[in-house]
Amino acid sequence: MRDNLLRMAKMRFPILLVVNGEEHELEIDPRRTLLQTLREELELGGTHLGCDSGDCGACTVLLDGEPAPSCLVLAADCDGRAIVTVEGLLQNGEPHAVQKALVAQGGIQCGYCTPGIVVSSVALLRANPNPNEAEVREAIAGNLCRCTGYQKIVEAVLAAAK
Amino acid sequence: MSDATKPPNGSGSQSPGIIGKRVPKLDALDKATGRAQYGHDVTLPGMLVGKILYANVPHARIVSVDIARAQKLRGVRAVITGANNPGRKFGYGTDNTPLKGDKVRCRRDEVAAVAAVDEDTANEALELIRVEYDELPAVFDPRAALVEGAPKIHHDKPSNLFTRYDYSHGDAERAFDSADVVVEGDFDLPYVTHSAMETAFCLAAFDLQGHLTVWSTTQIPFLLQRDLSEALGIPGREIRVIQPTIGGSFGRGLDVYPFEPITVQLAQATGKPVRISFSRTEEFFASAHRQPAIVRMRSAARHDGTLWAREARLVLDAGAYISWGAVTPLVMMETVASLYRVPHAKFVADVVYTNNLPTGAMRGYGNPQSTFFTEVQMDELAEKLGMDPVEFRLKNANQPNEETPQGLKITSCGLRECITEAAQRIGWESRAATDERRFETDEPHVRRGVGIACTLNVGGGARIYRSDGCGATVKVDDFGRVTLVTGSTEIGQGSETALAQIVAEAMGVRLEDVTVINSDTSVKPWDVGVHASRTTFIAGNAAWRAAQDAKRQILAHAAQMLNVSADALEIGDRIVRVKDDGRQVAFDKVVRALHYREGGTFVIGTGWYDPPTQLVDKDTYKGNISAAFGFGAQAVEVLVDMETGKVRVLRLVAAHDVGRAINPMYCEGQIEGGVQMGVGYALTEELLVRDGQILNPTFLDYRVPTALDMPEIETVLIETADPEGPFGAKGVGEMGGTPTAAAIANAIFDATGVRLRRLPMTGERVLAAIIKGESNAASQTEP
Amino acid sequence: MKPFEFFKPATIGDASKILADYGREGRALAGGTDLLIRMKRGQWTPRAVVSLNRIAALRAMEMNGELQLGARVTLGEIIRSAEARGQFPVLARTASKMAGVQVRSLATVGGNLCNASPSADMAPPLIALGARADIAGRDHERILPLEDFFVGPGQNALVPGEILRAIFIPRPADGFFCSYVKLEHREAMDIAIAGVAVSAQLAKSAAEIRNCLDVRIVLGAVAPVPRRAKRAEEILRGNDLTRERIQEAARLAASEAQPIDDVRGSAWYRRQMIEVLTRRQLLALMTAPL
Repeated sequence: MRDNLLRMAKMRFPILLVVNGEEHELEIDPRRTLLQTLREELELGGTHLGCDSGDCGACTVLLDGEPAPSCLVLAADCDGRAIVTVEGLLQNGEPHAVQKALVAQGGIQCGYCTPGIVVSSVALLRANPNPNEAEVREAIAGNLCRCTGYQKIVEAVLAAAK
Repeated sequence: MSDATKPPNGSGSQSPGIIGKRVPKLDALDKATGRAQYGHDVTLPGMLVGKILYANVPHARIVSVDIARAQKLRGVRAVITGANNPGRKFGYGTDNTPLKGDKVRCRRDEVAAVAAVDEDTANEALELIRVEYDELPAVFDPRAALVEGAPKIHHDKPSNLFTRYDYSHGDAERAFDSADVVVEGDFDLPYVTHSAMETAFCLAAFDLQGHLTVWSTTQIPFLLQRDLSEALGIPGREIRVIQPTIGGSFGRGLDVYPFEPITVQLAQATGKPVRISFSRTEEFFASAHRQPAIVRMRSAARHDGTLWAREARLVLDAGAYISWGAVTPLVMMETVASLYRVPHAKFVADVVYTNNLPTGAMRGYGNPQSTFFTEVQMDELAEKLGMDPVEFRLKNANQPNEETPQGLKITSCGLRECITEAAQRIGWESRAATDERRFETDEPHVRRGVGIACTLNVGGGARIYRSDGCGATVKVDDFGRVTLVTGSTEIGQGSETALAQIVAEAMGVRLEDVTVINSDTSVKPWDVGVHASRTTFIAGNAAWRAAQDAKRQILAHAAQMLNVSADALEIGDRIVRVKDDGRQVAFDKVVRALHYREGGTFVIGTGWYDPPTQLVDKDTYKGNISAAFGFGAQAVEVLVDMETGKVRVLRLVAAHDVGRAINPMYCEGQIEGGVQMGVGYALTEELLVRDGQILNPTFLDYRVPTALDMPEIETVLIETADPEGPFGAKGVGEMGGTPTAAAIANAIFDATGVRLRRLPMTGERVLAAIIKGESNAASQTEP
Repeated sequence: MKPFEFFKPATIGDASKILADYGREGRALAGGTDLLIRMKRGQWTPRAVVSLNRIAALRAMEMNGELQLGARVTLGEIIRSAEARGQFPVLARTASKMAGVQVRSLATVGGNLCNASPSADMAPPLIALGARADIAGRDHERILPLEDFFVGPGQNALVPGEILRAIFIPRPADGFFCSYVKLEHREAMDIAIAGVAVSAQLAKSAAEIRNCLDVRIVLGAVAPVPRRAKRAEEILRGNDLTRERIQEAARLAASEAQPIDDVRGSAWYRRQMIEVLTRRQLLALMTAPL
């Protein structure tokens, strides 16, 4: 039985991932999460492992435009889907307004939650360019931060919306 | 002419340049764009994954460990057990070994470890290890552990009592007899945990000469070097510790953990680099959490509103092994004995071994605990005196330039200003004016309340180790780049940027021309570690000295080049110029000129700072542990649902005496982040432990406040220009979370008339207290 | 995670066939927000994981007389859908209080129901709305009242090979109100300590008096399965809503709860919260706009 399982583990599942606009044809172990695949196969280290159970938001990416925890998605299940990571938010090397505002307003301390916060906030501003404070807090409620008390993050996202 | 050995303290200085500016952290853009390299991002060629098998029985003799099947699994490179231990003990209590050979004393005890080609294989190997235990009676209540005949945790220790702290000043016993009002109560404080967003990690690699390099999330790189040496018998000079970007720590990294020597042992056994990264679950059960405390406390005052006496007796559950967390009573007693003027005080704390998980220190180092029970009783005293809580606190507040009976030499002190600001901004006056405000809510079952609490913290280092020092060098290269190499450690708090500001200011160079190196023990000078809110103060003073030294070297040579005395020169905008006539030479040219000549030299300044403080006396615990003290007051407004007990914090004002804000943005950030930990401690965070097992090892059920749970925080920085601090700055790292829980408890009392003495104050506990209608009963239990 | 075979069929028929073949060793994957956590923790070790995410039919959300809510519709899609917001605001509101935005992009209504957690938030309001489960098997279909879909903690009425295809929700008549309120420790990313859904078909019996033609009170997180408080419903059904009657119904609802102690709350507190949450929602109906 175990041998059988091990043989199956070696099975590879072919997928096409579109990450930050680039197509990647991969053969992956079906057990791999999107998070592992981004970090280990595609070397996109900006997406962070925080809890591996969807409770902290550090691994948030845009999945077909929606913010989602990449630790709760099997890469094999993402065939053909468009994924944007924190690295993909720079345009011509220029950081996104949310990234600039977090830098300027002191919304970053240890920075481990920051990529997730950035991705969630960009998704918010795309759907709602003029959010109020409550809407910003709602949008990042799934992103735990242990350093900032959220105060300066919220201020930064509101500033980025202006 | 000011004292050349000390940076200016900012009082009366004009045009402060880069000091006091809200400049972004040096690494902020890298972090915002996902480029920063954390421990989990570091990989080495051939690196293996290490995994640990934990006992998951609380107390047992190890009969046998069978690793044969695990060793045979394809992809496994090493399996080690307690038999591989080097045979010596490590840790603050000299009571721990990497793997456990003879017996296990708590569920987290490390019994075996595996190195394998990948995580799945390592996990599979763990499942193949068979351990046979002979279970022993276990004890989980520290009070029971002190009783004669209780199961003994360490057979080579005289008893389960690791140590007792017994402090007093004045005559507390008799003072209670002569007091006019006395309040008394039992407090119950839970396990809570740091919850850094990045879990702990260790990567160990040997080179062919046998030199060991360890990449680590530690807060104490030089002590880790020493601790690993002790634990493994590897000479410290062979050990190099590198700290990548660290994703928060909050006290987690103050001790060496068994997994660190285990990682090294696996690297030794395999000849390959080995990494152990904690999973979140491991982080929840294998970190050294803030220890729970059982507290009996009483406080007394005189009719005129003079605070008269305090007595606190604590039992602290250290768990199965002693960490630096055992030293937190030193800080707790400071609150009891020295927050406000206290003529009589007594503090007794027993640190006790149990079969619970080992505990440690967390941001505040005992102070959030002691400030909770001390400040709740301040409120109770005020109530009993019929005095306004703000007035009562102002009347007894610490003042500048006084020595407390404990021997704390308070220099700068803005406690009164903090209280006044916090009270005014939360609307305290209207609080006194009318009772109806309690009912001014949208719903009939909701009450409104406000509360306040204060804090006293070390702000000029804390001498809990023989040295409280830090070294620094400042090098200037021949293109004018200034590199500060500091012994201190950045764990996200922003000290690196504050230090760069101090160097830029001291030398007169641009901030953008300053680089900070702080991540490698083979490069940086010694430092005791990042703790006790000490880095800006201690490392800042060291950096300032090194910068002054480098500046002196540059000016001395520029003086020769310009044929004036060095006193006549100043540095600014990448040039050195004569103040009077404007003649100038490029800053980088001076440096080049120093070494492009016969008998030349280079520019490197050095600085060492160890504050003028003392270790406390080992018998009386008196002495001035810190070179400066930070103060703060927090005022909160809450809503309490009287039918569900649920508390909502609407607003929080945090007024803190920071001496001088080198970078106000990150001073505020430290306070605001501290407030979040305080709100969590007050309302939602509790690691539930039953029979030594954690019941809620996930972020789903260990409830760190989310953005929706946090109030709007108004932070007020009170600047008192400390005479010893760099540019007047005092430490600010911990005090943001210290008074929060007490302020919230006091606001709940204002809203509901019930006192909560158990944390966290969940809806269930608040409702139970409301139902019980107990406002003054000594202890509180659920119906 | 233990090794497994991964399938991603395009039709319900194929999915059903694979799941039937693997029996108890097969697991359907929709949003994955529960399944993957259990697999990572080793609680579930399926040999086959069958993704339902290629099956377009499961993603439909249509109004034809009643709302057909595809099982694979995400909580985020419910919040954004015009149908839910217009006709079934309780569903949008309930979804918007679950987890956080990020998890709601993945989590599906079908997943929430099939996991059959006692605290599943979608269950009480859907039961209160009179929803039915549309189930497709390998060669059969069946429709089950949603309240009969839950068998025990983590157990639903599906047999191997069956897939929850959609939820059918009757279109509300004028004078129909439905709400769901839960109590949590945090304002987001949390699990209900207790939750109560109330639905009522109201009529004016006098100027300011509301008569309760029909009513459902559904309790969450206080019993092995979402549970209707039928005795509480009974004393309200057909009667005018008065404060006294509401107090009594709330007390009855609390007595019908079967709560346990766990890391989120004690049984006594949960029972008491059922009374509070039930009473508050019923009191709000006294002034419901008719």
